[in-house]
Formats: sequence, structure tokens, C-alpha cells
Amino acid sequence: MRPFELTAPTTVEEALAEPGAFLAGGTTLVDLMKLNVMTPQHVLDINALPLTGIDTSDGLRFGALERMADIAAHPGVYPVISRALLLSASQQLRNMASIGGNLLQRTRCTYFRDVSTPCNKREPGSGCPAINGINRMHAILGTSDSCVATHASDVAVALVALDAEIKLESATGTRTVKLADFYCEPGDTPHIENDLRTGELITEVIVPRLDWAQRSTYVKVRDRQSYEFALCSAAVALDIQDGQIVDARVAVGGVATVPWRLSQVEDALRGKPATLESFEEAAKLAVEGAKPLMHNSFKVSLLRRTVVRALVEGSR
Amino acid sequence: MPSRVDGPQKVTGRAKYGADNSFPDMVYGYVVTSTIAHGEVVAMDVTAAKSAPGVVGVYTPFDSLEIHTPSTPFFGETWVPLQNRDVVYYGQPIGVVVAESFEQARDAAYTIEVSYTEHPAATSLRDNLDNAEDSHPARDGTPPVISFLADGVESIEDAIAASQVVVEREYSTATQNHVAMEPHSAVALWEDGVLTMYTGSQATNIQVMELAPAMGVEMTQVHAVNPYVGGAFGGKGRTSIPAFLAAAVSRALGRPVKVVLTREQVFTVTANRPETLQRMTIGAGTDGTITALRHESWSATPLDRSYVEQTSHTTSRDWYATQNLALAQRMVPLTIPPATFLRAPGEAPGSYALESAMDELAVALNMDPIELRLRNSSIGPMGSDLQWSAKYLDDCYHIGAARFGWEHRTPAKGREDGDWQVGMGTATAMFPAFRFPASVDVTLKADETAVVSTSGADPGTGLLTVLSLVGAESLDIPADRITPRLGDSAYPPGGLSGGSTATASAGSAVLIAASQVIDDLLSVATAPGGPFEGKEATYADGRVLADGRSMSFGEVLRALGREAISATGSSGPGEEMTKHSFSSFGAQFCEVRVHKLTREVRVSRMLGVFDAGRIINDKAARSQLMGGMIWGVAMALHEGLEMEPNGRFANADLASYLVPVNADIPQVDVHFVQHPDTLLNPVGAKGIGEIGTVGMAAAVANAVYNATGIRVRRLPIAIEDLLD
Repeated sequence: MRPFELTAPTTVEEALAEPGAFLAGGTTLVDLMKLNVMTPQHVLDINALPLTGIDTSDGLRFGALERMADIAAHPGVYPVISRALLLSASQQLRNMASIGGNLLQRTRCTYFRDVSTPCNKREPGSGCPAINGINRMHAILGTSDSCVATHASDVAVALVALDAEIKLESATGTRTVKLADFYCEPGDTPHIENDLRTGELITEVIVPRLDWAQRSTYVKVRDRQSYEFALCSAAVALDIQDGQIVDARVAVGGVATVPWRLSQVEDALRGKPATLESFEEAAKLAVEGAKPLMHNSFKVSLLRRTVVRALVEGSR
Repeated sequence: MPSRVDGPQKVTGRAKYGADNSFPDMVYGYVVTSTIAHGEVVAMDVTAAKSAPGVVGVYTPFDSLEIHTPSTPFFGETWVPLQNRDVVYYGQPIGVVVAESFEQARDAAYTIEVSYTEHPAATSLRDNLDNAEDSHPARDGTPPVISFLADGVESIEDAIAASQVVVEREYSTATQNHVAMEPHSAVALWEDGVLTMYTGSQATNIQVMELAPAMGVEMTQVHAVNPYVGGAFGGKGRTSIPAFLAAAVSRALGRPVKVVLTREQVFTVTANRPETLQRMTIGAGTDGTITALRHESWSATPLDRSYVEQTSHTTSRDWYATQNLALAQRMVPLTIPPATFLRAPGEAPGSYALESAMDELAVALNMDPIELRLRNSSIGPMGSDLQWSAKYLDDCYHIGAARFGWEHRTPAKGREDGDWQVGMGTATAMFPAFRFPASVDVTLKADETAVVSTSGADPGTGLLTVLSLVGAESLDIPADRITPRLGDSAYPPGGLSGGSTATASAGSAVLIAASQVIDDLLSVATAPGGPFEGKEATYADGRVLADGRSMSFGEVLRALGREAISATGSSGPGEEMTKHSFSSFGAQFCEVRVHKLTREVRVSRMLGVFDAGRIINDKAARSQLMGGMIWGVAMALHEGLEMEPNGRFANADLASYLVPVNADIPQVDVHFVQHPDTLLNPVGAKGIGEIGTVGMAAAVANAVYNATGIRVRRLPIAIEDLLD
């Protein structure tokens, strides 16, 4: 860990006045600083900023510093969000990690995390050993010739399914962006992971009101039952009336370079009876465009199955 | 049942592990490792590192430390770092940066530029089978390739061909690391030419035997201190790289030095259980009698061939009675990190292959797998005249089947429960029972307490508590009057906490020392000037009795004006080894649930019933066995290091090298059939440290087959193995 300067602003204005890496829960930043993957010269501890509060009066609004554990435990939060949070990390990490930081967490690609190997995301142009390496955990959707790393967040998948937005503040102004538009697929610039501009800070997460999202769930498939990243996950919300699917939201994680919305699956579900047959038929569309690698071709089948399982469980 | 005597220290954080020691003026070492698997270090640019803040020393093969290669009877030669420029695996220690803080040392280490000339790496076991060599002889001297054939049978092939039913299958197991909670670490301090070493180890006296020659000093000049060990499992037998480096750097700088491996480094700078490939061929009659068994094994081994995972000789020779048996243990030298003992070395992966094949045979015969095993139960190792001293495996199976509800298992295909397929599996467990030499000192003190001490280690197994319990029993006083001490090379040589031997070895020595100290006490009590002068005295309840009068041992000592009286007892393998073969036995049961859609395997219940001689401390023994069984689940479903063609481990951290978490481990039931085996040792105890792991991976795999109809012959079993 390189020596760095640490300051602790107490207002958003102060925090935005100086350049540096924002430290909230620290569960990604400190980890990657120890590994020499991130080497900020200036770290701003933003935990004293007043970016808290969970408002469930009209849709959901979370201050960016709300901890994962607190949002998960809040009674007014849609099940798909609280389940996605509760299936993330460990209780200790959820107690520390903020919702804003969660959305910016870096990939778990082990080549990205090991500075002795090349990585286009860490050092643009150095190469991607994962494409022909050990890539069982890697993505099959949204990949490029430069990068096949998955996005690691669970709750981002749920939020993308629910059309969530984030509020971004900087010294020059404030803007609101749809989370789905915020993330960038790697293309030939895998080091650019999102639309966060220099000096911008996520201050709030906003989930539009969607009453039928009370019928929603998050399914996470992984190699052990807890404290493990997804091989494949699916966030699902269903509006079912009289056995018919009126509307549906489906997004998946663990298989894509960004939280991956499956609008084609949603389209296929609308107007169909809420039956296993409809779910299986629609889930076939989930794997459109999938590009499996040497060790992760099973994810094509697993993705389809995970979507079916989430739809089945979400419809119960 | 008594709790661990060191429990309160451990759970409150007061127990001082090796790296918890700190001294004034101490500096910190950070190990630099290679980023190629095979070749030579041509140059190391350490200019930036040397001038980095806080750095007090940078040592490399070009600017090295004085460390000599030590050799011990138990381990042979142990490799020491920085003595040449050869690189034989990725992640090999090639330097150490020493600074005023750990962070400064690490930061400086990142600036070192290394140039290499590279040689081809060989990292895949399967791709290098053509380079296989016959392995070393087995522990008991048995040659690596051996067969035992019935009269008139020409070859194992003939015996197989003559069998009515034959199962022939190949199984593979993954490279595993011990991942002890305490990473390998050391704090070294030289004072007046004497090295004091604080580090986790399975045997302080063996550590002294390695460190003294490594440093070129006498054994009396090394003092190893090791009261608490944060897990070892075979991975802390040899002296660790941090210990060699800390000792040498401390001497070079004249300052105390702490060296702690990062978790990532533990995977390469220490040693692993190597991967294996095993081909099993079992022939049987239609009645289930095994007529031929062939077990061919290949183990990866590092280029120095210093360790081989002996899977065939540790299982198939002992487990089943057959007229015809052929074993072949081969090793494939690869540019991989060192390999060493890891819990149930040989038996754990060997039992996966053997007990999976037995399950496949039961399916082929349409026979209950328990019945098949009991029908072929061995009375001793093949080719040996020495029968098992005692064997209650049948009881283990009968009791286990009843406790587990085996009769509810549907043989052809398991049952369904909602979205889950449910299946049951079973497997046999065996682990040899033996002793290492161990000495223990027992001291009776005038304050009515007693001290039981040995240099042996308690790597979490409960040996400290055993010393207390066996000491109390043999001195006939309550355990709260015993002070057990271990993990200090100043105490009598306590042997190795390995091979599931510590309780039997040290426990037997306690009995001998206690009996001696009681004799000595009686003789001073009845000697001229003693309180029972000229009487025939006896000892009971911590008291000396004669003529209807009694005194506590403290009173006797005080009457004599003595502070204490001591005796040392030693025990080791003896004549018993010429009379019987010795083993612990067990029956493992497992129930798994496999999701119909997404194919996760979840263990829902497990039971182990063990015949392990006398159980000294039921509570600690139960924990040991549970831990072992959980290791078996980990081996079956979670653990496996993945190596890239260039020798780099792709998952060398605890986020991606998976071990089970609480959520993976449901109800674990352990039951003992208690038959003290005093033919083995006076305590009647056999080993319990490793047998819990043996067979469990096969029980899981067999349960997966029962649930799904899919036989997975590769560990760990993954979701993709169960997808169509």
C-alpha cells in the first residue's frame, strides 16, 4: 500500500472540492489498495457526510452512505432488493459496505486483482489473460476481445431490473442517471466501467414506485451457500393477475460484464399465462448473444435455468 | 465433558500465537515471490526498494542470507530460500524486503523488477503422464508397484478377466491447501547467540533440529516457543520459510524480525496436497465377493520429488479382503509448489476413488453398498500376517444405518422433495493407528498441584486438554489441579502432532511419567527421614497412605522441605507393532439435496460412526471428527486450486479458493463405538485427527449419484458436472 493522504470532509461541498478516491465502507478500495491494484494518492473518507436516510413513501430513496445491512432490513424495501443484499458478501461486510460503494465495486476477475498479470482493465493495452485462461467465473454476455470480467454486484442487478436511478453530484452540478445507462460494457475500453465523471459522487439511489414489485425475488446460484459471488443470478418481479402475466422485470448477474437487463424475456412473458411452460419458453431468449469461453460454457444452460427458477419462485 | 483448558484464552484473544509477539526495535519482512514457474533469476533490480521509506534490508539470491539446508530423520532435507537463482515453481520465494513496518516492506517489494531466463513449465498432471515414474516406497517400505495373487493366478489382468462383474473407472482429485487460519509466520530474536523462535509448528523439537543446522549453531542455541498453533493439518510440520528468513535476517541485522505470509503467499510459499489421478478396477462374483482389485495411482510431485500423495498403498491394501490385489503408485514431476502431508494424506483422495468404485460395484451388482462392504471386510492388510488388533466396523455400519435411517434410501434413484432431488451415500473410513516417540515430564508440587509438560504442539486438536485429563487420571487428582504445558522446546521432546498420534503418544508417556513420579514420591516418603519412614506406603486420591494414616503429596513434599518432585516418561512404538496391525475404522453417511433446475449440491445431513479406541475427551473428540467430516465435504464440493499452464494459481485467495461456510454445514452427527485398544498402547486410544476426513468425499459423491443418477468422478463436484 503506497503512502497516501487521508482527509475526512464533513459536507458534500467539501468532499467535492478536492480530487481523490472516496472511501465509504472501504470493502473494495482498501482491499485493492493492499493488492496494489488501486494506488490513490489522496483518499477522502466520506463517512461523515449526511448522505443517509431510507425513504419508502413514494418508491424508494436511499442515501448513498446507507449500509447494505440497513437497507436489507428495512421493511418497506422491495423483496428483490433486500434478497439481493442479503445474499451478498457476509454480515460483517454488509454492515460496512455502502449502497453507493456497492454500485461501484470492481470486478472479482482474479487477473484484475493480481498485479503480476496483464489486465486491460487495470493497465489498458496490456492484454487479457482471462480470455484464454481460467475463465469459469467470467462473463458470457456483453464481453469483448479486451475483457470478459463480470460485474460483481448483486443489488445492482435488482436495481437495474427496477429501473433505478442514481443521483450524481459534482462541484459543477447535479445530474440523475438511469443505473442501466450508467454502466459501460467493456468494448475496447474496459478500464472505463461507468459514466462516473471526474469529481462526481453518488449521493442517492432512487427506485421508482412499482407496487407489484412486492412480488419479486432474487435467485443466486453459487458454489457455496453463502459468502460467495454469483455464478449466475436473476432478479425478477412479476405482475400476475388472474394467472396471466401482465408485466415482468428480469435482470441477471454473474454472467455479464454489466448488470444485464433481459427485456426480450420480459416482452415474451407479457400476456402469457404464469406457467412453467411460459417461463421456460421466455428463458430461452435469455442467452441470446451469449459467447461462452473455454471454462464457462455451462453458464449458457445455467443462465436459462436460473431465470426459470427465479420466475417460478417469483410467481409463487 | 470437559471443555478445552485453553478455550477462554482463545475466544477472548488472549492466546498469543507466533506473530502476536512483538519486541522493541522489531522490523518486518515481506517475502518476494517468482512470477514464472521454471527458469533462473537473471537479475533483480532492488534500487528503488532499497531507498524506499523505512527499508533496512533487501535480500535476494544475489545478496543473500546465510541459511544451510537442514536434514532430519523424519523429513529428510528441507529446502531453504535464496541460496541459488533456480526457480522451480511460480510463487517461489526469491527475496525478502525488511522495513520498519509491514506496509513499508510490502510497498518496497512491489517496486522490485525481476528478470528471468525461462525454461518450459510442466504444470498439468494429466498432460505429463508420459513422464510418470515409480514412486518412492510406501511408509512401511512396500515397493510402489506390487501385486498379491492367489495360487495359480498368473496376473491381475487374468484375475480381473475371470471376475463375473468388473467395474473399471478413473477418478481425479484436486490440489488442496491447508488454509489454516493462522498464516505461516515467525518472530525471531537473537540474544547472546541464542535464537528464540516464535512460530506455529507441529513439533517444536523437530523445529529446533531444523533451525540449528540451518543457522549453523548448536541445538542448545535454538529455543522454539509455540504454545498456540492456529491450525496446522500437516502444513506446519517442516520449519516454514518465514521462520528460516526471520532467523537469518534477525541475525544479519541484530534486530528482532517478524515475517508473516499474506494469504495469497500461503498457497505457494508453504506446501499443498498434490492432485491425483486414480484408476480403479474391481472384479467380483455375483454374490459380491471381491475377486480382484487393482488400484493405479498417479500423484503430482514437485521437481525435487520430496512428497507424493500415496493413494493406492494407504487404502486398497488394507480395506478389503481379496485374493488378488495389484497396487501401483506413480509420481509425475512438475514445476509446482512444494507438496506435503495434508489431513489424511493418501487416505483422503485414495478413499474417494476406492469408495466411489465400491459404490459403482454395488450398483453393478444391484446390492446394498453396506452389505457389499461388510461382505468383503478385511482381517488385516493384504500380504501381512498381522491381523487388526480390533475391528468394530460392522458395528459402525449397523449403528450408523439405524441412526441415519438408511432403510429409507431408495437404491435406484433417490426421492424428490419439492424442487430438490435427495439422495444418500455411505463410505468406509480407515486410518492407521500408531505412535511416535514422545516424552513427558510430570512434576508434583508442594502446593498440591501438578505440572504435565512436553514440547509437543496443540494445533487446535485439544492435546493440552488431553495432558490435563490423562494427567489427572494417572495422578488420581482433579484436573483443575493439573497445569498442562506444551509447545516449548525447553520441555521434553514431545513428538509430532501429526498422523493422528499425539494423544496416543503423549498420553502413554504421561502414564509412564506419572507412575514413575508416584513411585519416586513413595520412596522418598518411606525413606529414612521421610514422614512414612520404613512403612509400606501406597498412593491414592493424591495422597500417600500407610498404617491408616495419610498425607497429601503436597504435605509429604513440605514435610521433606521439597518444592517438587519430577519424573520423565517416554513412550514410542514398540513390540505391539510385531504382533498386530492397528487401524481406526468408521462408517460415513451423507444426505445431499440437488436442485432440479440450477443443480447446486447441498449436504443436508451427515453422520460418522467411529471405532477409534478409547475416547479421552468426548467433547473435543466429537469436534475433531466433525471438523474432519467437514473437510471431507469441502474436498467433495468446494476445495481445489486451479493452476494455469504457466504455473500460476488462478484462485489463490480465500474468496476464490472455497472452503465451506456455516451455511454449507448442516447437522453433523458423530457417534463412537468405544472399545479401548490396549493392545496398541496403555491408554487404549487410537487416532481421531484424520479419520473423519477419510471416506466423506466418497459418501458425498455416492449421495449425489443416488440423488441424480449422475456419477461424478472428479473433485470438487461442480454445478456444471450435473447440468445436461
